[in-house]
Amino acid sequence: MFDENTILVFYEITDIIIAGLSNGSVYALMAIGMTLVYGVTKAFNFAYGDFFNMGGYFAWILIVGIGLEFGGYITVFLIVLPLLFAVGYGLETFMIAPLRKRPDWENRVMMLTLGLALFLSNLYMVLFGSRLKSLPPILEGILEIGQIVFSYQDIMIFVMSLGGILLFGWMLNNTRTGMAVRAVAQNPEGAKIVGINIKRIFASTFAISTVMVGFGGILLSQKMFINPTSGGAIMIKAWVITAFGGMGSIRGGLYAAFIIGMMEAFVGWIFGMSYTIIALFVLLLATLIIRPQGLMGKGA
Amino acid sequence: MIKVSGLNAFYGQFHVLKDVSMTVEKNGVVVVLGPNGHGKSTLLKSICGLAERITGNILLNDTELTGLSSEKIVDLGVTYIAETRELFPNMTVLENLKLGAYCRRARPFEAENLEKVFDLFPRLADRKSQTASTMSGGEAKMLAIARGLMSNADFLAIDEPSLGLQPNLRTEVFNTIKTINEQGMTILLVEQNIPRIAELASHIYVLEEGKITFEGSKDDAVSNDHLKEIFLGM
Repeated sequence: MFDENTILVFYEITDIIIAGLSNGSVYALMAIGMTLVYGVTKAFNFAYGDFFNMGGYFAWILIVGIGLEFGGYITVFLIVLPLLFAVGYGLETFMIAPLRKRPDWENRVMMLTLGLALFLSNLYMVLFGSRLKSLPPILEGILEIGQIVFSYQDIMIFVMSLGGILLFGWMLNNTRTGMAVRAVAQNPEGAKIVGINIKRIFASTFAISTVMVGFGGILLSQKMFINPTSGGAIMIKAWVITAFGGMGSIRGGLYAAFIIGMMEAFVGWIFGMSYTIIALFVLLLATLIIRPQGLMGKGA
Repeated sequence: MIKVSGLNAFYGQFHVLKDVSMTVEKNGVVVVLGPNGHGKSTLLKSICGLAERITGNILLNDTELTGLSSEKIVDLGVTYIAETRELFPNMTVLENLKLGAYCRRARPFEAENLEKVFDLFPRLADRKSQTASTMSGGEAKMLAIARGLMSNADFLAIDEPSLGLQPNLRTEVFNTIKTINEQGMTILLVEQNIPRIAELASHIYVLEEGKITFEGSKDDAVSNDHLKEIFLGM
């Protein structure tokens, strides 16, 4: 019915879709973390991509550095995710919150996080050297369905990041703290009136966003290398996805992440990997011209 | 009981409240009258920990409220109901009410207070799942008052409850305030005009340019020439 070439192309496309889905799911995690902080605290975090790498490096220290074997990645998550939460919470509480009292605090926070980004990427360089590091796959092996081959790693990445997103969405809608986070995003003054400690909500939000991007870092660093200076590029990618989806819109970020994940995979296949970043910016330009508020944004 | 003494409040460069002293007895309804922009809202916000910067003393029974954060003050049973309502626009009526019971003091009574609030405002019960931003001005005002009641407070600071309401809704709001006062709530409220609200007042203060310029019972207020002049134009 089909000749051999057509079938080969079909398999290749399936591979690309799988790669697009697994990358897209991690992008979704990153975009939601970014849009969350912006939506709730109105702060922009330039060091966002360096927290992605922080997750990767923390995991690398445990797995490769000290050769932890007990429990595998479960132990890694149990140690690294709370650590990332603490880093994010501390950063908001001790460095960003004091700046909020000033009238032009948004600019100050941008400068602060920009400085932090430079500091972290250079710190990584000093501590881990400029050689790229990689993490072992979370699960080895492949799953064959007929002629289609899935690697367990891709499946795990997809399932875990989607699981993370669903858990986060559930908490946002069903827990008291989640309700408070939404309340602060919608009306900080109203939140104060009902007795919500908005400083604590800011800190928790920042911490959760750090956990999300760091978790994404642990997942994606199994497929790509951990690069000490890649934080800026990762931050920009997260930002493009967030802008494409609509700043502050969680659902928009989710759709945008999968669209961009797929787009990258197909552009990479057709034109080569070096074109993916160009495609990303073309998409950003098109968004800014045609629909500046993003897919699901509410406009100014 | 709330006892304010020597309260000064600042908003940026502006000295909004100047040495304000006043007392709200337990179970009373104290009404603060005054023209727009003379510090009435700031007075309520100062008590509730929402003002920018204040000096002086605000005693709730024996607890000093100055310097406490708004969430601590809500937990002590003092709740602000904003003239601007300050609802959560993309949440439902029910979610807004549940957030009203966010403070620790209110959590155990959430279900009980929800029932009470729906008794007081049957219209809100019908609109439980409506989004707050789609409500009319009057309904939103009721929701703001209802949300305040959810905090299980025993002291409510209500900012211009009648502002922007049509006469029949105004009556409804006043009746509600009367009811909750009869149920034991202490109320401090501010208004621009005398007429209706004076019936409820156990004590009246007038705030002009950040200073208390009159203090007395409602009979004193009604017979005071200065007050007649500024509020009734007589």
